[in-house]
Amino acid sequence: MSNQGDDKKTGAVMVVGAGVAGMQASLDLADAGYFVYLVDKGPCIGGLMAQFDKTFPTNDCAMCIISPKLVEVGRHLNIDIVANTEVDALEGEAGNFTATLKTRPRYIDPARCTGCGQCAQVCPVVASNEFNCGLDRRAATCIKYAQAVPLVYSIDRDSCLGCGICETVCLAKAITYADEPRRTKIDVGAVVLAMGDEIYDPSNIDTYGYATHPNILTSLEFERILSATGPSKGRLMRPFDLDEPRKVAWLQCVGSRDLNQCDNAYCSSVCCMYAIKEAVIAKEHSHGPLDTAVFYMDIRSYGKDFERYYDRAKDHGVRFIRSRVHSLTPVENGDVEIRYVNESGEQHSEIFNLVVLSVGFQVGKATIELANRIGVDLNSNRFIKTDSFDPVVTSRPGVFVCGAVQGPKDIPQSVMEASAASAASGVLLNASRWTQTKTPEVLPQTNVTGDPPRIGVFVCQCGINIGGIVNVPAVRDYAKTLPNVVYAEDNLYTCSQDTQVKMARVIREQGINRVIVAACTPRTHEPLFQETLLNAGLNRYLFEMSNIRNQDSWVHSAHPDEATAKAKDLVRMAVAKAALLEPLHDTVLDVTPVAMVVGGGVAGMNAAKNLADQGYKVHVVEQTAKLGGNARSLCKTWRGESIPDYVARLVGEIESHPMIEVHKSSQLAKVDGFVGNFVSRVKACDGSEMEIAHGATILATGAKEFMPTEYLYGKDPRVLTHLEFDALVMSDDPSLARADSAVFIQCVGSREPDRPYCSRVCCTHTMESAIELKRRNPDMSVFVLYRDIRTYGEREELYTEARKAGVIFVRYSLDGKPDVKVAGDKLSVVVTDPILGRAVDLKADMLVLATAIEPTDTLELSQFFKVPVNEDGFFVEAHAKLRPVEFATEGVFLCGMAHSPKAVDESIAQALAAASRATCLLAKGKVAVSGAVASVNPLLCSSCGVCVSICPYSAPSFNDKGKAQVNAALCKGCGLCAASCRSGAIRLQGYDDAQVFAMIDMV
Amino acid sequence: MSDAFAPKMLAFLCNWCSYAGADLAGVSRFQYPPTIRVLRTMCSGRVDPLHMIEGLKSGFDGVLVFGCHIGDCHYIDGNYFTMTRVAVVRRLLEVSGVGSERLQLRWVSAAEGQIFAEYVKELSATVEALGPFEHERYAFELAAIEHALETPRLRWLTGMERQLTAHENVFHERLDSEQYKRVLMDAVEMEYHKSAILQALKKGPLVVREMASITKIPVQTVAQRVEDLEKSGRIDFCGYDGTAPRFMSAAA
Repeated sequence: MSNQGDDKKTGAVMVVGAGVAGMQASLDLADAGYFVYLVDKGPCIGGLMAQFDKTFPTNDCAMCIISPKLVEVGRHLNIDIVANTEVDALEGEAGNFTATLKTRPRYIDPARCTGCGQCAQVCPVVASNEFNCGLDRRAATCIKYAQAVPLVYSIDRDSCLGCGICETVCLAKAITYADEPRRTKIDVGAVVLAMGDEIYDPSNIDTYGYATHPNILTSLEFERILSATGPSKGRLMRPFDLDEPRKVAWLQCVGSRDLNQCDNAYCSSVCCMYAIKEAVIAKEHSHGPLDTAVFYMDIRSYGKDFERYYDRAKDHGVRFIRSRVHSLTPVENGDVEIRYVNESGEQHSEIFNLVVLSVGFQVGKATIELANRIGVDLNSNRFIKTDSFDPVVTSRPGVFVCGAVQGPKDIPQSVMEASAASAASGVLLNASRWTQTKTPEVLPQTNVTGDPPRIGVFVCQCGINIGGIVNVPAVRDYAKTLPNVVYAEDNLYTCSQDTQVKMARVIREQGINRVIVAACTPRTHEPLFQETLLNAGLNRYLFEMSNIRNQDSWVHSAHPDEATAKAKDLVRMAVAKAALLEPLHDTVLDVTPVAMVVGGGVAGMNAAKNLADQGYKVHVVEQTAKLGGNARSLCKTWRGESIPDYVARLVGEIESHPMIEVHKSSQLAKVDGFVGNFVSRVKACDGSEMEIAHGATILATGAKEFMPTEYLYGKDPRVLTHLEFDALVMSDDPSLARADSAVFIQCVGSREPDRPYCSRVCCTHTMESAIELKRRNPDMSVFVLYRDIRTYGEREELYTEARKAGVIFVRYSLDGKPDVKVAGDKLSVVVTDPILGRAVDLKADMLVLATAIEPTDTLELSQFFKVPVNEDGFFVEAHAKLRPVEFATEGVFLCGMAHSPKAVDESIAQALAAASRATCLLAKGKVAVSGAVASVNPLLCSSCGVCVSICPYSAPSFNDKGKAQVNAALCKGCGLCAASCRSGAIRLQGYDDAQVFAMIDMV
Repeated sequence: MSDAFAPKMLAFLCNWCSYAGADLAGVSRFQYPPTIRVLRTMCSGRVDPLHMIEGLKSGFDGVLVFGCHIGDCHYIDGNYFTMTRVAVVRRLLEVSGVGSERLQLRWVSAAEGQIFAEYVKELSATVEALGPFEHERYAFELAAIEHALETPRLRWLTGMERQLTAHENVFHERLDSEQYKRVLMDAVEMEYHKSAILQALKKGPLVVREMASITKIPVQTVAQRVEDLEKSGRIDFCGYDGTAPRFMSAAA
């Protein structure tokens, strides 16, 4: 590598598209030492996710989980949000691009606008509100949604009359009618494309009548109806008469798996799950009984914890009707008749009050034009072209891609690819890290020790979320009467950026030295408000939150008086604690710039290679004598690329990489330490041990093929698993040529009570295998016995190809599993065909079982690193949607099949994502350890050792005087020791006894 | 509004599961009565038995402790300790005659918003049926309970349960957990009795029968505990009342 060349690379990256993928890519890049221009064509960031009501499979409120990210991006010193802007041209080459940006005028000066909304109040224009999919209306001066970042209004020039009234009411003098389009150039070293997809418009499907019937909606429109910020404030309704429907139907695969009405042959990957979610949430919102029916071809609940979600929906009474819908016909009262053909070919019809079309994804026209403009290739489905082994690399060097513009996918997959794109950029720009970034100004903290408490209370209305139930002004006035409270105010949205700025000012002006925010939950918003304290020159621990939304207004909506009384009590408790808060100090520790990757499969090797290419030393610990893992037994990817060739190349690169040390036939024997400073003992099978210091750990321990006991497996040599079948293909076994017929059985060991999850990859694998057999011998009879075909995303094309090649698909159900016997020189597979309605006897020379994927034994590692494992035995990430590659335990990351079953390309993306998250830690070189930890008063300590015995993290130990002491870096602040100490010697800072008692006694 | 008694309860919620579950109840709008006042701790294992009693002392009608399901604890096994501590305090409430129903323990995961709401409903009904808690009437018992909970013996036995029953003792033996529970509960009772006697003696010297009548503990039990207390120097003999020896608190 020539340093001279690298020095010239620009340490800045342009991210195009500010949806959840673009935001994550920006955060990873900025935290890893690059300046980021986050370009979006819209007025604010957030993308499609901001429009969702809830997210599957956790039913998290989408806005609640995305808004802290919005704010984090908005506040990040090294992310410049370039709104209302499109990329006009991209010149130069990898490492040194110049992008030309075209910014549309906003007509409102973002630097002056306070987001007060006065302009929208007086605007005489009524225009369709895009955020609510046109289900309600807005003014010409508008903001996309209440939590938008940046929280700045803009004038929609298309609907604006130019009457001038907004200028007369704008107290901030922010209106700029003279605003003009701007063209700017920026220099960047890499580009990440994250434009996402658009929603398919079903207007052209005549037989559905979407364009003309008010009670036929798209799923996104229905999402808005369910949302508390939607057109009906979350009341379940239908647009025709605002009636609460009693019967709602969902039609799957609208604009997906369809070459007749549209050009989208692929499956959109997410519609089954969101339809199930919408049905479940609609039932929860409904005041009376609600009948929900999903009309579908295959239910594709293939992701982690998705199958359980589907099972629960069935328990909730959601009806699932396997069918082909023929037409939708308006009947009286705004109802809609659905005519459909069921699985056995019978015609049926049923009337519903509301019909939701589960519309798919497609790449927008503007995106296609942009790709053409900047010279990035698209694939046959118009998604940005990548290959399986470089899932975030486009055809133009230095331009990376993530999210749904690369192929239809859900949020966690998009977030993983976003981090992966950051990791890939990091390899290119490593030498220019920290060259373009700004360093935060560390404000001196006011020393408040010994000062009498001066408490400020900020009560949030959260729009009407709190203010609609709790009497917020009364709570504010009540707060003013409490001891030590010197200031109280209420805000519409305390979390909004303008309020934050104002809060910091008020804290300084009023000399406030303890801050209380009565609002939503500290679980999402505490860090945000703590940062505001820092900006006001206060220690961040001088802060306390009262949860008067999630645990008050939302759950006592029928009892406003009691809810108000409860809010007052909660504020009083917070005030009591706040008076006793003391500044705490986070410790800053150095990070060992070394990573350890446990597991040498495709995931582990990719994580290791990326980190090593970014300049970090990596140790790979592999249990077996060979690198490669399961991939060594696989033929090809779903795109047809050769896996053996790839694995051989990758193993070579890993073994010869100067920054990578491989420990084969080795296991971890012991792990000490904590984020940034782990020390692990690696034990080889020859008994030798070595100690390795590392700052980050990536668990990539993979999974294994389940060995079945049914269907004569192990008893007849013609019954094979998928990997055994692949071995025959790779060795060109003569039995393949001899066979006249083959049967595949899907879901062997998956989606059953013992293993109630879908193994994700088996349907696709069966398609590849069936097509391979047909390719070798087109006359061969090939049958696939399945429960649902789950060739999600563009893998659907393999399903189409298999059917075209003459593969016959027969569905079976869990209570009618196929029966396998030996019959003469053949195998006899008997299954009931639901179309024929009778049993068929298939004679086979070969039976391939699509067996489940099982986790490896993760118990010991989970104990070493204190990380959780779910009931299926897979590791549990910190958050299913937004933190898919990290554990709650800091400094420990995961990727590959140890997380859940997944395909090679997905494992690679997740591995790069884990490497990216680890890079954010290693690149900073320092880690801050929380000050909210336990401490021992040695004068009181009786040396009994109960704290040493009970601490799950080994934080307490005896010092040389025989007294207990707590290692702050190991302490997680749980308080177990404080509540067990027999001599009252242990204090838990931030949850001290005195503070707890004060809160209890205050009520 | 009816005049029906609406209980007010103190609820300890651990940050990772039950607090998140309660947040989820909010996000999902599962309604429950406005009876609880939440105190968030990082782990339910942070909740000191004294915090539970403080809740009753300061006039709450009930105290609820919510934690992660066993096996789900964010701090690995903090909730095992919670389980033991709540059992200890409930036993004290029972022995003292306050009644253990006012202290309740439930497990709620971050995904169980509905279950959290159901529990609050259920426990509100339970405490409502018990009626308002007259903490002043039970001031004597609560003070004695508090004192018992502060004793190094109970804190030690409570803290060591998991080490001794799930791991090993100094002889590398693992104790039977049922057996340990009996040892612990016997200790709880004994420490309560001693604390109650000491509490009674705060008002001045008493003979055994007087102590028994104030503390509502059987005479023979009082006699044994008085012996123990005298031996450990906590109380002093100070003359006779007829044939009955009189005792007073030892000078501090």
